[in-house]
Amino acid sequence: MDAGRLARSAAPQMPRCPSPRRDVLVLKPRPRHEQARAFLCHFDQTSFILASPSSFTATTGQRRRRSSAAKNPPSLNLHDGSEVRGRLGTTTGASGGPSGDALPAIPGTPANFEMSSRSPSPHPGGWSSPGLTTPYDTGGRNSPMRGFPNGASHNVTWASAQAKSAEVKGYTAFNPRNQGFFGKHFRRISTSLPFSYAEKEKLGRGRQQGNKAMQFLNRTGRTLWRLRKSLGVVLFFVLSIILFYVTPLHRLWRRSSFLGGGNKYVIILAANQGGGVMEWKGPREWAIERDSVKNKKRYTKKWGYDLEIVDMSTKKRYAHEWRESWEKVDTIRNAMRKYPHAEWFWWLDTNTFIMEPSYSLQSHIFNQLKHITYRDINYYNPLNISHPLTEAYLDPETRSLNGDGKADSINLIVPQDCGGFNLGSFFVRRSQWTDRLLDIWWDPVGYEQKHMEWEHKEQDALEYMYMNQPWIRSHVAFIHQRKVNSFPPGACGEKGDDPKIHYQEKDRDFLVNMAGCEWGRDCWAEMYNYRQLSNHLNRTPWEKFKDWISDSFKHMRESNKKDEKSKEKKKEGNK
Amino acid sequence: MPPRKTSRPPPYAARNSKSIPIPIPPALRNLLIRDKARLIVICILGFLSILWLWKRSGGASGLEPSGIVGSRAPVVIVTVIDPRANAAWVAKIMKNREDYAKKHGYATFFPSNTDYSLNNSPPSWAKVPALRHAMTLHPTSGFFWYLDHTALIVNPSISLQSHILSPSRLEKLMIANEPVVPPDSVIKTFGNLKGDRIDLIVTQDKEGLCQNSFIIRRGEWAKYFLDVWFDPIYRSYNFQKAEAHALEHIVQWHGTILAKLALVPQNLINAYTKGPASAKNGKYKDGDLIAAFPGCDKDKFTCADDMQPFFDVLAGNAQSGNA
Repeated sequence: MDAGRLARSAAPQMPRCPSPRRDVLVLKPRPRHEQARAFLCHFDQTSFILASPSSFTATTGQRRRRSSAAKNPPSLNLHDGSEVRGRLGTTTGASGGPSGDALPAIPGTPANFEMSSRSPSPHPGGWSSPGLTTPYDTGGRNSPMRGFPNGASHNVTWASAQAKSAEVKGYTAFNPRNQGFFGKHFRRISTSLPFSYAEKEKLGRGRQQGNKAMQFLNRTGRTLWRLRKSLGVVLFFVLSIILFYVTPLHRLWRRSSFLGGGNKYVIILAANQGGGVMEWKGPREWAIERDSVKNKKRYTKKWGYDLEIVDMSTKKRYAHEWRESWEKVDTIRNAMRKYPHAEWFWWLDTNTFIMEPSYSLQSHIFNQLKHITYRDINYYNPLNISHPLTEAYLDPETRSLNGDGKADSINLIVPQDCGGFNLGSFFVRRSQWTDRLLDIWWDPVGYEQKHMEWEHKEQDALEYMYMNQPWIRSHVAFIHQRKVNSFPPGACGEKGDDPKIHYQEKDRDFLVNMAGCEWGRDCWAEMYNYRQLSNHLNRTPWEKFKDWISDSFKHMRESNKKDEKSKEKKKEGNK
Repeated sequence: MPPRKTSRPPPYAARNSKSIPIPIPPALRNLLIRDKARLIVICILGFLSILWLWKRSGGASGLEPSGIVGSRAPVVIVTVIDPRANAAWVAKIMKNREDYAKKHGYATFFPSNTDYSLNNSPPSWAKVPALRHAMTLHPTSGFFWYLDHTALIVNPSISLQSHILSPSRLEKLMIANEPVVPPDSVIKTFGNLKGDRIDLIVTQDKEGLCQNSFIIRRGEWAKYFLDVWFDPIYRSYNFQKAEAHALEHIVQWHGTILAKLALVPQNLINAYTKGPASAKNGKYKDGDLIAAFPGCDKDKFTCADDMQPFFDVLAGNAQSGNA
């Protein structure tokens, strides 16, 4: 049975595929007609119509077939091209070459062959050409099709539908081209651009064109595109970091108790000192206060702390009463009530200025509390307090030099200046101990006996309690004054050269306390100078760069002037 | 040309189930096997979080170094002895405390009022450092009962703990909203205190707070209270009744002290046989724990004579108890 007969006999009774079981009977190697039948069956099942042998090899059906046939090595030997063509010719109807059998050219296309629209089957009268048909699109038929897919009774073509919708829309479908600016000039513009796709197409045929820079740009662009995933991740991170700091998100982070912990700290700023009934405040005092408040506001905002500005004006309530200047105690208590989640409260006087806003309290002090504070007052003891206590009835912890030595037991952090404790800037922790201290700090009996003696009021009272009430000692820690409370020259010595007390620019001290500036010194000048210095020290790199330029210009100009002067002098000397 | 791909693919490798001996659900095992990097990251994170937890919990070991409070004598009875007094009577007083302490497993402490430097203030101040001293010497005891030498334990069968100290009992006994200094002090005892938060148990006679019998609980608050009470300013201030008025002063002026104070009926720990007893519940009657003789040590030293009948009764009881 040769291929031609096979085709003829197989065509009417398709599908008649050999089942694998029947194949079993056929011994390897299969005869050729068997292979061919398998192909035909396959075409039928996948309903692919092949126009030419070249497209035949590219069909998916064939590919699949081949892969399955790979197990059966001798089966796929379609070497005889003419034979194949002949066999194909029976299905497509295009007689491809001289076949052995005299087959009628295009006789019976089997009725059960589905036709795809891409390669319409020819009518007996020949190929219909789509461009030359009547407006009534019959899909290449002369006779009207029976059921329309749209179910329309009339023949609707694209043109007729367009005309109809134009009636409805009120304007015609006719749209003259090249009417707008771009329509008129698009080509000119596009050709005058530095890069031209048209040229490239013409000359380069898709290969690289243009100068080196363009090539380089192209290459980088392509590399970037290839690395888009990893680059995207990096870009995402960079963007999110920028967003973190640009938006208030970083403040939220710093403030939250479990991330930054900023809400554990409250700054209590005494303001309006001397206001109220005394009323000696002038414009300078107001300016000082404004600067001081602004400084602390920025600092607390930056690090997510809370700022409590307290009106310390002398009130009538206190003016003729004992407790003036012990309001500090009431104030701290109020702040503790107002900020129930805060742990540490930092008292600051008005005449203070935070020189280094980039220091957070955590990194500057509280993360290393044990190491930067000292409990043994003998380390620096301007008051000559005897420490530790030696009374035998006291418990060992109270008698020890360092209390229990743990950072957790520190409830009060006080700096010492040349005259003893300094309460211009000190820290107090919320605890029962603190509650007791604040309660006992002011006592009428103590006040009655000592208020003439206690020049610094609550500060002296604290010193007195530290000396005489043993329970206080084991919970008080001292901090080096310059950590939180540097003095300007004029306080504790005119020269300002005490390395324990006075502000040092090169060490970038945290805070300046212009203590006692109201007694014969110029508070406003000091505040102004330190503010300027702080701004200068904390310039951004960009500002530093600008300053460097202007400074170098100034320097050049000055040196030029000097040169001219010296020349003039020389001339004069010559004369 | 690259080498030809073999047309006979190797059969699927059998799953090696021996690699993980622990039975793990297949989904989890897939997760673990599939992504080694993920596994490593998870391990590291887990390790770090364990470290973090460990570090957090490690800081809070709040045990007193000297032992657990209450592991030995739960109560220490403190009586300051006046070395100028009749030695025989002092011995009797001490024996009275010791008998009671032995019966209930308490401890006693008898310092002399010359042991502490008082800087010329009245010797009655010695009770304050004496209590602090007792706390130092008995670091595991929870309660310290200061009992003046003018008082006698006359009903040793009453246990202090069940009688007063248990929080629920104390809560019932506390007198709320009572003026601290009778009859009409503006400062009144708090009404919403809990029994287990009390650190100082005192009584009140007709004139004010009694300081000849009171109980204090050890702790930071006790140190604070005693140190404040013992402040040199108060000692030198010439309060009319020295430490008694100082106590009334600090109780009335400082809320942190008043908040830890429980006022209990006087006859519980301080029933007066004579003197200014509280009108409601101050008078001594049979069966009370304490018989107090306030002022017996003042100008004429009458304590020994006053206490004699009670000593006799106690001796008789002891004999009958022994027999």
